[in-house]
Formats: sequence, C-alpha cells, structure tokens
Amino acid sequence: MTAAPQNSFSELYSAYAAGCIDPAFAMMLEAQSLIRADVRGSVAVSEMIAGNFLEAAPAARMSAGALERTLALIDALEVPVEIQRAAGKSAGDAINELLSLPEPVRSAALDAAGQQGWQMLGLGLKRLKLDVGSYMDVELYRIAAGSRIPRHSHGGNEFTMVLAGGFTDERGTYGPGDVSMNGPNDTHQPVADEDEVCYALAVRDGGLRFTGVMGMVQKLLGVR
Amino acid sequence: MVALPFLKTDNARSYPRKARRVFDHTVRIADPVMRERHADQMAAIAERRCRNAFSELFSYYAPRVKAFMLRLGAGDAEAEELAQEVMIAVWQKAGMYDRQQASVSTWIFRIARNRRIDAQRRQRRPELNADDPVLQPPEIQTPDETVSREQLDAAVRQRLASLPQDQLILVQAAFYDGLSHSEIARAFNLPLGTVKSRIRLAFMRLKGELEGGI
Repeated sequence: MTAAPQNSFSELYSAYAAGCIDPAFAMMLEAQSLIRADVRGSVAVSEMIAGNFLEAAPAARMSAGALERTLALIDALEVPVEIQRAAGKSAGDAINELLSLPEPVRSAALDAAGQQGWQMLGLGLKRLKLDVGSYMDVELYRIAAGSRIPRHSHGGNEFTMVLAGGFTDERGTYGPGDVSMNGPNDTHQPVADEDEVCYALAVRDGGLRFTGVMGMVQKLLGVR
Repeated sequence: MVALPFLKTDNARSYPRKARRVFDHTVRIADPVMRERHADQMAAIAERRCRNAFSELFSYYAPRVKAFMLRLGAGDAEAEELAQEVMIAVWQKAGMYDRQQASVSTWIFRIARNRRIDAQRRQRRPELNADDPVLQPPEIQTPDETVSREQLDAAVRQRLASLPQDQLILVQAAFYDGLSHSEIARAFNLPLGTVKSRIRLAFMRLKGELEGGI
C-alpha cells in the first residue's frame, strides 16, 4: 500500500470540484461533507475557486441566434414536470431511515429501493445496490441495532463509511463520517451499536484495484 | 498516462484533454460587482420568470460555459449545445438558487460540471434531476461554522486576488481544468514536488488557514 505524501491533500478536492473524480468517490465525499464540517468547508472553497474561474473566464463566441433558440426551447419545456420519487414498497419501514440519510446517498437509495429493492443477507443485515454511474460497486448496508455480522473477508479493496449509527470491529469503533478500509486479505466481524440502526456506504473495486490512489483516498477520507 | 487513473471516470480518460494543448498561461479573477448583479437576475427569473433577466444572464454565462467546455476538449457544436442545456437548467432550477449559499457562478459551475460528466457518461438520465443534490447545498450548520457561505465566498475571492500569480495559475489548472498534479507538472514543466507544495500552500491560503502569513 502506498502512503500518501503529506502534500497531496488538495488533489482529491480539486478533482472533485472539476468533475474529474470517479462518481463513487464523489458520492462518498459529498456524504462525508454533510457529516463533517471541515470536509464541507474544503469542498465549498474548492467549488468557489472553480466558480470564480468560470465567472472570470474570457467569453467564447456563441453562434448567431443562440439566445433565441434557447428561449424557444424554454417555452417548449415550460410544462412543469414533478419528478416523483417511487420509493417502492420494498423500502418498507426503512423508508423513513432512508429519508434521513445525507445526500446524495439519500436520492440514490430512494431510487434503488424503488427499483431493485433490498437484498436480505442475513439476520439484521440487508444491502441495497446503488447506481451512481461508477465502474465500482457502490452499496448501502443496513445493520439492525446490536446485530453481529458473521466474520467475512472482502473480494477486493473496500472503503466503508458510516452514515448513521455506528459499529465496532477488531480494529476500532466507527461513527458517522468514519471510514474503514478492508483489503482482500482482511477479515473482520463488525457489531452494530446496541441503540441504533447502522447505515454504511461501501465502495468496492470488484477486482480492479485502487492501487496508487489508495493512500490518497485513505488520507483524504480519514480512513482508520 | 494520468496520475489518478482510478479516480477519473473511464469517460474522462477517453475525453480528449485539449486543455493541456490550448493552455493559455494567463489567469483572471472575478469582478466582485458582478456577484450581486447576477444574484438579482436569478431572483428575477425565480420570482417573475423574467426573460430579460435570463437574457442578460445568458449573455454573460452561456459564452463562458461554452469556453469551459471548449477548454475541456469539447468540439464547438458540442460545447455550444452543452452551454445551452446548462442555461435551460438555470431557467428551470432558478427557484432552488439561494444567494446565501453560493454565488451564481459557483452554482452554474456545478451544473456545467455535472452536465459535462453526464454527457461523457451518456447516462440514461441525461436531464438534470430537479432534486440533484449539487443544487441543494447542505443545510446543516454546526456551531463551529460561524462564517456564512456568503462571507466565505467573499473571502475566497479576496484571497484569490492576492494570491501570487505562480500559485494562482496552478490553482486554476487543478480546480478549474481538473488536471492532476502530475499533469500540471508536465504542462508547466515544473517538478512534481513544486506543483504539490504550491497548490497545497495556495489551498490553505484560500481556506484562510494561513491568514496574515507569508
């Protein structure tokens, strides 16, 4: 595993601001920014920087009649379309829990719950696959309060961030915004906190490797 | 080829990165007067569906969004189409804009950035979703966030204006053009370590972590 150099810290923020980051990590960073004020501040400043450059940029030449064509399109689109969120019955009682998750996980989870629904993985554990347009697997896990997950290993490298509640494994205790990383050779046996349902977002490389950026992602997200 | 291959989307990699070739080594800072004017225009669009305000905003931003798309390697027709789509989204989502949360340029930049990502990905859902989280800045305010977004935005603009040119230009390449540190090192013919330390220093300054220093 590569250790991130001390000074590469801003690189993921700039990649995020400019839209050059994998959507799975973008989602993880956005969710983390809702949980942690320092991350929120760094993301906000990064986007302000980018916005400033857009505002100050020299103008490109638009083709003749561009404004008129746009106004005509606006007229054609001026039928208000309310986008309904089909949360679906499969979300069941968990719907209120999903509604309280940080964006953008919340929207992606509501979409997924309405479409393919949850997979039961065992007593107290279920999984929802999220479609965020990444080549990596992005999954939301729900672990019932106090549930003990059987010891398991991971197919590839996996980053798991707690969104709500918390869990404890051999290495430590994780609360909202904390990220745990597991490699292909790691096994662990997480136990959810007694008093609260735990939601966790997992990003897994499914055979491809994070190598090279691993250290940086770890450092940025504060992986323990 | 790129320093962060696994952070970039596959599509981002296949996208021609003309930015490196057409890179003009100049950098400009936004005029603070424009901020309020653009926010007023957004309010007029949201409250009165004012087409004049939209036309003014279009005249300012459409050519700049197009410039952003061109800079990132889009062809002229594609860049113009994306600019048009972004401006239509601005009209449709104007009600979601909150001047206390973001400047108009930052808000439009987010739309443009995500529109470009979608275009590259050729997603099944090409339209910008009304509930798109990028349009809904976090509402959570914890007690330690005593500085409002508006104050922070003003401070960032001020700090950008006082940033040394050699840092500013690298900040633009990273945060606006989306180049990785090693791509920047190649584009500017600088040692990677220099790029990293300058950008790190600049980012700390812009966040106000070095206030009064250096």
